[in-house]
Amino acid sequence: MDYLIHIAVMAFLYVILTSSFNLLIGYAGLFALAHAGFFAVGAYTTAILSVTYGLPFPVPMLAGAVLTAGVGALIALPALRTSGHYLVIITIAFQTILLAFLLNVKDLTGGADGITGIERVSIFGVQLATSLEFLPLAFFMTVLCFWTCWRVANSPFGRALRAMRENEAATEAVGKNILYMKVTVFMVGSALAAVAGSLYARYITFVGVDTFGIDETIYILAMVILGGMANLRGSIVGAIMLVLLPELLKFLELPPDIADKSREIIYGLLLIIILRVRPQGILPERETATTAGLAEKAQRLAGPPALPDRAGHDQPGAVTVCGHNLAKHFGGIVAVDDFSIELKAGTVVGLIGPNGAGKTTAFNLLTGFLKPTAGEITYRGRNITGLKPHQVVRAGMARSFQDLKLFTRLTVLENVMVALPDQHGDDLAQVFFTPARIAREEVENYARAMAILEFVNLKEKSEERAENLSYAEEKLLVIARLLATGADVLLFDEPLSGLDPNTLKEIFPVVRRLAADGKTVCIIEHNLDVIKGVCDHVVFLDEGRGLADGAPEELLANPTLAERYFA
Amino acid sequence: MELFLLLLVQGIANGCHYALLGLAFGLIFGTTNIVHFAFGALFTYSAYATWAAASLLGLSIVSAALIGVAAGGVLGAFTYLVLYRPFEENNAPIFVVMIASLGYGILLENLLGILAGTDTKVLTEVENTTHVIELGDMLVFVNNLQLLQVAALVVVCLALYLFLRLTSYGKAILAMTDNPEMARIIGIDTFKVTLLVFVIGTGIAAIPAALILIKDGATTSMGFNAVFIAFVAVIVGGVGSLPGAVLGGLLVGLLESIGMMGIPTEWQSTIAFVVLFLVLVFRPTGLFKGT
Repeated sequence: MDYLIHIAVMAFLYVILTSSFNLLIGYAGLFALAHAGFFAVGAYTTAILSVTYGLPFPVPMLAGAVLTAGVGALIALPALRTSGHYLVIITIAFQTILLAFLLNVKDLTGGADGITGIERVSIFGVQLATSLEFLPLAFFMTVLCFWTCWRVANSPFGRALRAMRENEAATEAVGKNILYMKVTVFMVGSALAAVAGSLYARYITFVGVDTFGIDETIYILAMVILGGMANLRGSIVGAIMLVLLPELLKFLELPPDIADKSREIIYGLLLIIILRVRPQGILPERETATTAGLAEKAQRLAGPPALPDRAGHDQPGAVTVCGHNLAKHFGGIVAVDDFSIELKAGTVVGLIGPNGAGKTTAFNLLTGFLKPTAGEITYRGRNITGLKPHQVVRAGMARSFQDLKLFTRLTVLENVMVALPDQHGDDLAQVFFTPARIAREEVENYARAMAILEFVNLKEKSEERAENLSYAEEKLLVIARLLATGADVLLFDEPLSGLDPNTLKEIFPVVRRLAADGKTVCIIEHNLDVIKGVCDHVVFLDEGRGLADGAPEELLANPTLAERYFA
Repeated sequence: MELFLLLLVQGIANGCHYALLGLAFGLIFGTTNIVHFAFGALFTYSAYATWAAASLLGLSIVSAALIGVAAGGVLGAFTYLVLYRPFEENNAPIFVVMIASLGYGILLENLLGILAGTDTKVLTEVENTTHVIELGDMLVFVNNLQLLQVAALVVVCLALYLFLRLTSYGKAILAMTDNPEMARIIGIDTFKVTLLVFVIGTGIAAIPAALILIKDGATTSMGFNAVFIAFVAVIVGGVGSLPGAVLGGLLVGLLESIGMMGIPTEWQSTIAFVVLFLVLVFRPTGLFKGT
């Protein structure tokens, strides 16, 4: 009986580890293989503070969580610069350095001997000495940690995390602060792992470096992948299965050393098999958003609340965005040189020119994705040169991408909702401290998003994943997502290329209507029909310089330009 | 100064060891773009094959090392065909292959532990004579093994250079390293080339494996450090550049050794990881490439 309860306690601890790890790898897409390192810092902090300093429960646990959150924030820094397999390598290196530290700082950690005699948890003077007595505490803490992960994953913040996983640049382009998101999710994930570590230290009453090696990280990884990435229920399933599985080996009565190794072999084999046969895991990421409740509540609203609208106050023709003498050099290559552009409210400007003329670079400069080598950008008279992309979006200028960069594994609705401005649920502290307000906002944002989808004729597809849309629908979703940012200056990078003439005829009025509403619109386009049909004004860019600008008919009739471009 | 010379010699010898690992791993990683973590386990298996041939079959160390190289080649081919090929055929994302590789490495390592035990395998009968060179009034100590490590690197580099430049398969490998898509378009059989690269790369890794077996003995867990050192060499030198991997390995070896003048010995094994960490954060394209 005691044996079964011991297994239950271990399963609980692993649920904490898997659900927090899933936040990082499944939701945020950050493959940081250092989770056992976070686990270790939590365990060691508790061991040191309780054995050496005699601090009572739960002080060492909280201290460990805070300290580990700091370590997690540290690991987030390389994650800002590298991604993909380099992040994996860097984090494995990090965990190895961390373990070497724990091994070498002998005075503090006991070196290879570890720390023994950790006092068991006492609550109100009652010591939890047996597995059975410890079980309720483990259960309570696991529920608390799991609930925390659940809140994070299913909040607007969690939605933005999944968007970031799909495409980082596009997430910035809808106004999200990537730095904040990565640092925060690392802090939460690592702090929760530290809670598991603290419980582990109190339960086993011993910590040693060997428990927290890379193998342990892979073990937790195997649980998460088996259960299903970006599915927290899956993490429970994965943890329980892989805690139970090796126990079955006990019936074979192998020597302990062989049994340990067989366990590792099974994990390795299982990992390969799952990745081959069912890489999405036993419980895959859910296909649709849980919007049933939202839809019902949204019906009770008087109507979709309007987005903040700066554009409405503008006189048509008022200058909103100005680029002065912009230049961008990449090493010796001049992509944009001495380029100036003025965008006005209520006007559609077409940016045209041959391939490689620097049109997309110009967009990147205006929206903060590239820093200009020289020149200045103003938005409504305010100098915005050097602002980060998300700051530019929040100021009021947003852009789309030529290669769409949709959040493919998010639903159409989520693609739009994530882009809506001023969401308090993007701030994780607010998710926990003002839940009612976040819930109310979600209902409003649902209504807003549906209204935008209706505007672009995608309402029926709202629960579809973006990856299942047709090409024309994808293009419409790009427009919807851009509108959702609430920006009044909209930069479209080839929004209409590749569409058939009939679809074009549907979209023309949409763009014109935006201008009529007072928005400032700029479009990169190759199609002459589009330019003639939509643009009020055209800027011709060639070899990084503004060669000419004027009314579409005028420019298209210019023989020199025609030769350079349309030949 | 004498201490410095001692560390310098040690650093060069270790650097050559690392350079060989970097070369072997860089050839596989640079050509196939597979994050081949199991490289470490295959390295371990080669060392054990050499050990078994020498101590169980009683072969000379040279023949035993050749058996190690052969075993490495076969294992490399096996690993590609059984583990990576099916993922490639399914167009699995790079991280899926990488995690499968981690799982495979753990599987192999523990399997070896069950089959061969976890004690350190040593070859006692190999003699390692130390030479003393007088340099002015200072003494420099160099042993045979260190000379062998340098010689191995020189020979392997030369042989590989000639192979890559002069044979059609070698040229195909270089083409694929440069641009796999283009290589496929111009009619290179990328399957064959990949298989070949796994055979050669794992075979080359068996040489430093045999040398480290003579030097320190072999354990089942020795592969982890090997694959990471190889990673460090490749990343310091810039992914896709074989000369870079050699330079990177030498640099890390020297740094680790010379670093002992200021850093306590228990931290020595950590230096390479710190280098890896810093390079990946601040110069992910490697030290030798222009920005």
